[in-house]
Amino acid sequence: MNMFARNDKSFDANAASTTPARDKTEAPVPPLAEPKRTPPPAPQTYEAATPQTRVASVISKALKITGQLESTEDIQVDGEVDGDVRGVSVKIGSNAKVKGTVYGDTVELAGTIEGKIEAKKVILTSTAHMAGDVVHQDIRIESGAYIDGHCRPEFGKAATKSAHAAAKPVATASAGSVRDKPGSVAEIGTRV
Amino acid sequence: MPALSRLALVPVPLGNDGTEFAASHLGKALTIKGRLETIGVVHIYGTVNGQITADRLVIGAGSFVEGDIIANDVRIGGRFTGRIYARHVTLDGTADITGRIFHHTVTVAKGARIDGRMPWRPLNFFERLEHLREAQ
Repeated sequence: MNMFARNDKSFDANAASTTPARDKTEAPVPPLAEPKRTPPPAPQTYEAATPQTRVASVISKALKITGQLESTEDIQVDGEVDGDVRGVSVKIGSNAKVKGTVYGDTVELAGTIEGKIEAKKVILTSTAHMAGDVVHQDIRIESGAYIDGHCRPEFGKAATKSAHAAAKPVATASAGSVRDKPGSVAEIGTRV
Repeated sequence: MPALSRLALVPVPLGNDGTEFAASHLGKALTIKGRLETIGVVHIYGTVNGQITADRLVIGAGSFVEGDIIANDVRIGGRFTGRIYARHVTLDGTADITGRIFHHTVTVAKGARIDGRMPWRPLNFFERLEHLREAQ
């Protein structure tokens, strides 16, 4: 009993000496025996889990890709791609640059392509710079667009071959210009 | 370390108009074979096979990345095979990593699977990587 009494006393003494200090500083710390039950922090969500843009993939301006891009969804390229791009709806933004072939159902070009476009529907906007051939079924060229290459309305005619960029020497020699499909050409760019 | 020269960062040519760059978002359906270089943010939810250089990189759950990563800040919730060189690494519970993680600080969530070593490096180790980027 004596022992317990002594302990109690010393405990009281300690408590007395510490309490004023505690009051000054903060709320008393909960005892260790029963730690505060806080729910585990909710897992942080990725900031871009739901991107603001509706496009499935965005290659932003600061991004440079050396290699191939393949997607079964839409692609928006605002950066630089050194290689082929394959998508459903491919948009090449006004400051973007692609060196390689761009394949797609729809290809909208506002930037620069050095290579080739193979798409069912091709749109060259006024800021487009196209150095290379365009294989299409339906094309729109806005005033101001630059094209240095052939426009061939052959998309789908040699689908299996053209998909792998197989050369078609016979066709290339004859099929010349945008005049092949005059109805769909609203405005012809400066240099064709 | 000869590997570093191979991993040297190369600056991305940029227009001078913007101080802030939108994050690149590589969707689920996108597969890239090749190198990715940016001074900005990249979010990957698809498949990438190649080297990635970025300031901040997020590899979302369900994605698969194979190759080397050089970044300031890396967060991984998907499958990754290769080497990571990053100051700060965060591995989510869904992460599945095979390879080495060179880091200064690392956070690993419960459930993450890691097969490989996680060597700590001082901060100047990563500065050296950046010096290489500026030199080229």
